This record gives sequence, C-alpha cells and structure tokens, in this order.
Amino acid sequence: MQHKQSDIDLITEVLSGNTSVYSELVKRHQRFVFTLAMRFSKNREDAEEIAQDCFIKAYRALGTYKQTAKFSTWLYTITYTTSMSFLRKKRVDVQSIDEADSIIQLENHTSDFNADIVEKKSGYVYLNQAIALLSADDASIITLFYQGEQSLEEIGKALKMESNTVKVKLHRARIRLKEKLQYLLKDEVKELL
Amino acid sequence: MITMEEEIWDYIDGNSSPQQALSVQAKIASDPAYGSLYEELLAINDQMNELELEEPSMSFTRNVMEQVKLEIAPVSLKTKVDTRIIYSIAAFFICFILAILGYVLSNSTFDFTDIKFNMGFHMEHIDFGKYVTPTSIKIFLFVDLLLALAFVDSYLRRRRA
Repeated sequence: MQHKQSDIDLITEVLSGNTSVYSELVKRHQRFVFTLAMRFSKNREDAEEIAQDCFIKAYRALGTYKQTAKFSTWLYTITYTTSMSFLRKKRVDVQSIDEADSIIQLENHTSDFNADIVEKKSGYVYLNQAIALLSADDASIITLFYQGEQSLEEIGKALKMESNTVKVKLHRARIRLKEKLQYLLKDEVKELL
Repeated sequence: MITMEEEIWDYIDGNSSPQQALSVQAKIASDPAYGSLYEELLAINDQMNELELEEPSMSFTRNVMEQVKLEIAPVSLKTKVDTRIIYSIAAFFICFILAILGYVLSNSTFDFTDIKFNMGFHMEHIDFGKYVTPTSIKIFLFVDLLLALAFVDSYLRRRRA
C-alpha cells in the first residue's frame, strides 16, 4: 500500500527542487480554496481567478512557510487576503444582513438543477443560497469552520484575530445564517432541514 | 450574558463545560421550546457539516502548474540567505572603513601639548583619474544594463502570471 505523503513532505520536496509535486498540493486544497473564493466573489469565473492567484502566491512564498501552523491554515490566510484585495479592487458591494431583497444564485453544480423542483427544495440548495446572502466575512468564517475543518484558533490565525473574537463572529454569523434560511424557507425550515 | 442560542451552539460545538452541558441537557428534556430550538440548530449544524465543497474547472490544476513553471523555483529561506555572503559583505565594508580611517589617521597631525587634534583630510590627495577610466565607466554601465534587464524580465513574468 502506497503511503500518502503529508503536506510537509510535499513542501520539502518542492523546496528541494522537485516542483512538479506542487500539483499534488493544489489537487488536495483546490476545492476548499475555490469554495472560499466563491464566498467572496459570488461567481465561478472570478473565484477561479482568485484561487489560481492564491496557489501562485503560495508557491512563491513557500520558502517562507515556517511549519508552525498547518499548511491549510497558511494557505487560507493567503486566500482570505487575496479575496479581500479582489473585493477592494472590483469594488463589489458586500451584502449586509438587511439586504435580503435579491437572492444571488450560486453558480455551482446544484444550481444546474434549478428546473427540478424537488432538488430546488433541498436543504443544501437553500443553505448555499443563505450563505451567498451573508456578508463575505460571515460566509468565510462559516466556511472555514464547517468546510475547512479549522478550529477557532486556526481560524484566528488565518484571519489574524483572537480565537474569542472568532467565536463571537461565528456565533453572529450563524444567527444571520438562520435568519436568511428563515427568510428563504418561510415556514418550511423544520421540514426541509 | 450568554443567550439561549449561544448556549446551545456552545453545547453543539462541544465548547461548554461539563456543568453547562448537563444544564443544557436538562433544559432540552424539560423545556419544549428549548428542545425545539436545539433540534433546529442541530439540523443546521448537521447540514453544514455535510455541505459539499465547490469544484473548480477540470483544467484548474493544469492552469496553476502552467503558471508555476514560469516562476522561479522556491527555496527554503534558510538556504536562500547564505551566511557566508553576509559575512563577506560585512568584511568588505569593515575593510573599506578601516582603510579610510587608516588613511585619515596617517595624514593627520597630532599635537598633544596644546591638546589640539587636527584631522586634516584632503580629497585632492586621491587621484580619482587613476580609477575612473572610460573602460571602468563602460563596465559599470554594462552591469547596470544587465541588472535593469533582469529586473524588467522578472517584472514582466510577474505581470504575465
């Protein structure tokens, strides 16, 4: 049975000159980096551009990675700052909690089934819609916590915040998420979740 | 003051103390409204944990690796900064400063009887004409040109990336 190399092993190989193994690191983390970028950009094309930019930046700075934190945490710091810069550059209006008039459809694989009423009613579709309605900060904290499987301390490192601040922000983000879900699902929250 | 929802989220995340956990469990069992809220939050939590990640395009890794090929291979910072180079530069500057100091002191006159210290240093004693020749200027400009080309090259590569 082939032993799966850790992120650190792969980084050491890249730093010693075998740069082609960087593709393995990209494959491992691309889905999460892309998802996080989607939370900011709200569309696939921009998210793909941001995600690519993140991996190039990470490659350039690989020599400075100190291995005191997980590689994923370090990479998510780059993703967060790159996404924030993207938002500033594009001047995308980050939607606030009160701004629930328009629903932005995530152009993901689930939205391909819009015609199918049953799929449309599924909890996952509504969850994605609710996350898309959150501000970039709220959406990124929720994504890091649930989908990035990062602890509060690790999220704190990635976002340069105290873990207690992250805890409070996560709590507020979840309250807003629940409100968005209630807005989208009306009385069907309990039935669909 | 911790809210009811916050208390339940702490319990779901496993961040509450054993006493708090027992208190939450008791409230879930005894208070129907509390229990209903717990069920609702737990359902959201479970759905969030099961939510799938977005998938980038099929060519994503290939696109990244194509750009990576244009980059200079990264090296560990420990090997990148060779201490011998740093020591050589330091030694050069120390020697240079000592040489100037020696020259100044050798051309100075000391008179301790009147407690006068005359640090006479005349630039005109140095014959710059010996060093600044047309050839040395050409070499200097050529090195500058090489450095400028290297800088423009790295700048254009970064922009292309």
